[in-house]
Amino acid sequence: MNLPNYFLADLPENTALTPTVISDACQTLKKNRENYLATRTTQNLIRVISSVAKNWLEPDDAFRQETLRLGPAATGFTRETLATGLDAFFQQITAENLQALMLQEFGEGRRLDTLSATAAEQKMNRASFARGPELLTHITGGCIPNATLTSIIFGFLTRSAQFVKCASGTAFVPRLFAHSIYEAEPKLGACLEIAEWKGGNESLETALYAETNTLTATGSDETLETIRRRLPPKVRFIGFGHRLSFAFVTAEVLSGMSPQRIISRAAHDIVAWNQLGCLSPHVIYVETGGKISPEQFAEMLAAELDRLEQQQPRGILSTEEAAAIAYRRSFYEVRAAHSLDTRLWSSHGSTAWTVVFENDPRFQISCLNRFIYVKAVGNLKQALEGADAVRAKISTVGIAATENRAQEIANDLAHWGATRICPLGQMQNPPLLWRHDGRPSLGDLVTWTDWEL
Amino acid sequence: MNTILSFYDFADALSAFIKDQQPTEERFNQLALSLFALQFASVEPYRQFCGSRNISPGNLNDWREIPALPTSAFKELELSSLPPEQRTRVFHSSGTTEQIPSRHFHNAESLAVYEASLLPWFQRHFLADWDELAENELVGPIDKPGFIFLTPSPALAPHSSLVHMFETVRTRLGSRDSVFCGRLDDTNSWALDIEQTLFAVRKSMCANRPVAILGTAFSFVHLLDHFAAGNIRYRLAAGSRVLETGGYKGRSRSMPKTELHQLITKHLGISPSHIVCEYGMSELSSQAYDRAIEFESAELKQAQPQEARRFHFPPWTRAQIISPETGREVSEGETGLIRLIDLANVFSILAVQTEDLGVRRGDGFELVGRATLAEPRGCSLMAK
Repeated sequence: MNLPNYFLADLPENTALTPTVISDACQTLKKNRENYLATRTTQNLIRVISSVAKNWLEPDDAFRQETLRLGPAATGFTRETLATGLDAFFQQITAENLQALMLQEFGEGRRLDTLSATAAEQKMNRASFARGPELLTHITGGCIPNATLTSIIFGFLTRSAQFVKCASGTAFVPRLFAHSIYEAEPKLGACLEIAEWKGGNESLETALYAETNTLTATGSDETLETIRRRLPPKVRFIGFGHRLSFAFVTAEVLSGMSPQRIISRAAHDIVAWNQLGCLSPHVIYVETGGKISPEQFAEMLAAELDRLEQQQPRGILSTEEAAAIAYRRSFYEVRAAHSLDTRLWSSHGSTAWTVVFENDPRFQISCLNRFIYVKAVGNLKQALEGADAVRAKISTVGIAATENRAQEIANDLAHWGATRICPLGQMQNPPLLWRHDGRPSLGDLVTWTDWEL
Repeated sequence: MNTILSFYDFADALSAFIKDQQPTEERFNQLALSLFALQFASVEPYRQFCGSRNISPGNLNDWREIPALPTSAFKELELSSLPPEQRTRVFHSSGTTEQIPSRHFHNAESLAVYEASLLPWFQRHFLADWDELAENELVGPIDKPGFIFLTPSPALAPHSSLVHMFETVRTRLGSRDSVFCGRLDDTNSWALDIEQTLFAVRKSMCANRPVAILGTAFSFVHLLDHFAAGNIRYRLAAGSRVLETGGYKGRSRSMPKTELHQLITKHLGISPSHIVCEYGMSELSSQAYDRAIEFESAELKQAQPQEARRFHFPPWTRAQIISPETGREVSEGETGLIRLIDLANVFSILAVQTEDLGVRRGDGFELVGRATLAEPRGCSLMAK
């Protein structure tokens, strides 16, 4: 596939970007927005976006094929992991889901088109209009492309010109997605810029921030703080810090008809995007008292991960990542030799997968890349006590529970502060309507105009 | 070869091995297997660990097969053949106060082994040129090296193996005015007494005597920050030298090695050929150095080849670079985790798996750094 140089990320690797290049790009984006994007209707945008997403699901789609062909070298994910992850993502991007998102965020589908009102607002003699920022900048972090693609889609819905600054080595998928939009609708593609550089390049970033109206950033707390401090006061800042997730498996489902299905769902959450996202579980809490003990659960999970490695191999890690796994395994091997409360299962001759069982509810941060802790707990309360130290950092809790307990568990988790509760097996596959970190998806981007009739 | 039946027999045999000018691979292997058998028999947690791998002294022929314990195990288990009442000293790994440190227990005998291992290898790398300095009248015939240590004294840091190393060097090799210039700050962290350091440095300059400055990388950063702030550039007497060790552990801004060494050269006038890096840890009893200082006349000083720095342990300690993926030794030029077999770890565990990454280079290694996230807990996300 020979892609034209539409985006800064298309330029040869050694091309030096300058502050002037960044400023010019931003001004072009704004001009193009004015001409091609600002006056579009929500319906039109939904049509374009959902049709591009549909193309990505077609096996013979050129962008998809290119992603799967070059992706393993560019991203470190195997072809199978990329295919599974991208399918799950693009299946969510339907016209129906996009409509539902508009309703969820604005109560009314045409809020960004014109002054409009819900039935309740009509009674109150009010109407409102929401408009997105002129230039929306995304500073992306992490290696999973989904979050970046979602940001781009949201930015189009708010009619914003967008500058996407990818962390070094992560522009590959966003760039191909941008090209797919450009191909479908060049005028929309012209309102999007994709660039990649190592964060902390002050001269480039100062030029970018000066043009920006609203900025979203994903990264560590330190990274976010650094960015925030350097933004001009007029820029609205939306930061997404690193988050942690875990799963909770009740005793009843392990006494049920198909515990193997529960195991398989847990394994899928670990394998998806090699466990590298904020939504991937670090720990699976398993309740005692079921037909299958937490320790047996761990053993069966190990067998399932081994099986999945054949279908969807993890791929090659950097020496440093592999070393983290190897060293941590050696620690648990020692512990397991001394205590029945710890057990270790791991792939032979590789670091492909690791399961550590501990009879200790304390939350443990995994070194990821398919390294999972299984921890035995008497009940949800014990699990939440174990995770208390990271409470403020928790994003998703995947649960496997019978219907009559799920409601109560979800309620407890909601009050405890988890921002997303989902079925086990769906942790790394949030719906389009998911509110990232519990914040409004589009609501944080817009500014309202209220009309009192 | 006589069978080695006790740790004390082993210590004698090791002492002979250390003095041996041409130690053989075969002898190293014999000693390693003997020590493994002794430790297997007397260190219960180690025996249990080996048991989980079905390894016992009876089924081992090669030192490379001796099971290594990760340094993190020294935090969790008491890995010592010394009965509790005989443990007169303990060295702790450095780290944040929230973490449990590694512990390495010693008694008089094991400290004697430690010193017997430390001194010859230290001298060979850091002081090998001393006699030539005397011959060239850069120091007096009976002068001993003056050491400035940038760490707290043994009284302030009794559990630091590094400070014990420096104290051993001071008492056995140093001049009477050798001095510890570190102190403890309000949080009991190591800090540097800048005034005292400058006083000691200036004193050596006034006397035109070569001085040796030894400290951790972060203490040098601290000192050099002071020099940079005051725009101070000293030229220490010819033959002066630096020994730098260890990482930063959040105690100061970290700095790449080459930059640190350039600043040492700039502000202290000590050329890279006289900057030696040490690699050691509290879990070990031997140290590696990345170069030996050679005597050089003033003319030679101008042009010196800058070969890559490689660490070498003494013949009684072997480093292996292990592929984290396969668990096997990597090929020449490849990166892996550093594993060490230290025969001087007599009363502890001889085989230690570090969390440090190194590149295999001949019979030595280049240090790359630490595997981040290797250790459970202590991740920045957990910090409150």
